[in-house]
Amino acid sequence: MLAPPRADPTEQVLQSRGGDDGQSGRHVKDVAMTVLLAVVMLATLAVLGWVLVYVAAQGLKYLGPTFFTQNPPGNPSQAGGGFENGIIGSLIIVGMATLFSVPIGVAAAVAIIEYGGRFAAATGFVADVLVGLPSIVIGAFVYVLWVTRFGFSGVAGSIALAIIMLPLIVRATAEMLRLVPVALREAAASLGISRARTIVSVVLPSARAGITTGVMLAVARAMGETAPLLLTALGNQLFVVTNPTKPISTLSLEIFNNAITGFQAAQARAWAGALTLILIVLILFVAARLIGWRLAVTRS
Amino acid sequence: MRLKFSGVVAGALGLAVALAGCGSTSNVSSTTAAAPSGAANVSFGSANQKLCSSSVNTTPNYKNTIGTVSGGASAISGAGSTFAAPMYSDWASAYDKASGVAVAYASIGSGGGVAAIQAETLNFGDSDSGMTPADISAAKGGPILQIPLLLGAVVPTYNLPGIPAGLKFTGNVLGEIFAGKITNWDDPALKALNPGVKLPNMPIAVAHRSDGSGTTNIFTNYLTQTSPTWVSKLGGPSKSTGLTVAWPVGIGGKGNEGVSAVVGQTKGALGYLESDYAISEHLTYGQVENKSGNFIEPCIPSIIPAVDGVTFPPSLNTFLTNGSNANVYPIVGTTYALVYEHQTSRAIAAGLVNFFSWVLSTGQNSNASLYYAPLGSSLQALALAQLKKITVNGQPVAS
Repeated sequence: MLAPPRADPTEQVLQSRGGDDGQSGRHVKDVAMTVLLAVVMLATLAVLGWVLVYVAAQGLKYLGPTFFTQNPPGNPSQAGGGFENGIIGSLIIVGMATLFSVPIGVAAAVAIIEYGGRFAAATGFVADVLVGLPSIVIGAFVYVLWVTRFGFSGVAGSIALAIIMLPLIVRATAEMLRLVPVALREAAASLGISRARTIVSVVLPSARAGITTGVMLAVARAMGETAPLLLTALGNQLFVVTNPTKPISTLSLEIFNNAITGFQAAQARAWAGALTLILIVLILFVAARLIGWRLAVTRS
Repeated sequence: MRLKFSGVVAGALGLAVALAGCGSTSNVSSTTAAAPSGAANVSFGSANQKLCSSSVNTTPNYKNTIGTVSGGASAISGAGSTFAAPMYSDWASAYDKASGVAVAYASIGSGGGVAAIQAETLNFGDSDSGMTPADISAAKGGPILQIPLLLGAVVPTYNLPGIPAGLKFTGNVLGEIFAGKITNWDDPALKALNPGVKLPNMPIAVAHRSDGSGTTNIFTNYLTQTSPTWVSKLGGPSKSTGLTVAWPVGIGGKGNEGVSAVVGQTKGALGYLESDYAISEHLTYGQVENKSGNFIEPCIPSIIPAVDGVTFPPSLNTFLTNGSNANVYPIVGTTYALVYEHQTSRAIAAGLVNFFSWVLSTGQNSNASLYYAPLGSSLQALALAQLKKITVNGQPVAS
């Protein structure tokens, strides 16, 4: 093995010639920056921890098993009840939005990375712009194009969420496809496999873990969206609705509706709902990590 | 289309305000808990105590002359007034148990309720101010029936630590406060109305609605009738009453929910709320001078006489403020269910007729549990007659 550069005697001489002042100055800078970065890191973690602990403390005051099996009471000032309608509604609407957005999003990413061209580049640009679009704007867009024709419904809500999820899925998938080594594609081509077959059987399976994580992140984002749903799904504060052509409530809408009242009972429900939302998103993240990890292992 | 879209954007802005307002929701409990609801009745005075404890029939058992129409949809949906929202929730729960039909109601404000029925985005809308002929002509599906469902009070609600409920207000003093002319709680005008009450030297934080609101319409109509200052400040009677007005002072909250949160969290606040919101949140509210010069506490016995001597036009859309009865609370309104006269789906039409005929009969018995009053038999009969006009393909749904 080659000796590391520090062991070079000439360099040691140079360092000692530099004098003790320079060295201790650098040392002080090093320590100062380390401390500064540690403080910033701790502050960031503290804010996150504070939010989680506060929501958990407020939410646990009310959260119980019946929270998942009951609907909000008729009169919002009454105590009791839960968000069963919102939890089921969220799963339906976000589930449908995922079904709409994943095939389109993955296909768009394949077009951008694997085929390229002017049209693909434009698609990538549009996806980047869509990421920055405020979600309320997407809600208003779906309201005008869909709700004014067909009425408030779960379908309208899932279309709005699908538009929000789409650019996130396109970007995440495109990044993952870029990471697939060109050698894999060349190897497939050298065996005489068609380009389409290469993408389906070689490229996409290689990027499977990353794409899954990207989709889960988009799902988590959609779970928390409220503003576009106010203009599309509208909500249903009393009943569990499974028919997506009717107005449907979601967890986020229930949190909003209960939090804006001054009623203490309603605010207790809203806190419990917020904690439930965090838990659902947490479960999705852990599931995404596990899936990503397992897929990565089985690949090798 | 453009109009509706701007309504959406305005609603969205209102949401932002409401969201900003609920950042510190945990403070509500500490401030509202201090409000002494037990001592409240004392300061309303003995005349009011007698009036509000007088026995009135709050379970009128109105007859449902329509009966249940067969073939109704199992779910109908509507949206609108936040003023009536607690009552809708209560009715919908009870109706679900009685009939198995789910009625979804979203509390989005009267302006939103009118927009929803105009655009046919829901089966019914609801507005406390009803719809003007111009509103109805802008609706996609033709003529709209307006069905009054309840009577309710709009009450001046305040947050003054140590001051119990029952402060006296006149229409003109309320008008001057909301016009920004009276700005402090120890103003001579307020002191003269409330001798013996130690009003603090504290600025009045005016709270009003930020969305299109029937509660605002009822309240500003009363101010317009009683306060010249209010009318001149707003630039004439056509501008001083409506779902939205150009508020000279104050902070906005979305819905009755939002205003009640603002009042609950702000010391020195004065807002106007549908009475259930004020009572359920243990906020303190005042008494208001009526046409006969009596200061009246809002309660069911003082709300019921609001329909006395009122002549309803064929549309049934009229104001009930500043009633002529000596014992009436002056800021009373109703809420109107908005449904198309000519329906396209028989199932939906039958569902609407069944639900609203139930609300106008059995449903009226539960109004008092949420501090609303039943309609009174004459208005109830007029409302049921509106329902009989609903047709599908030219055929009446109710016989």
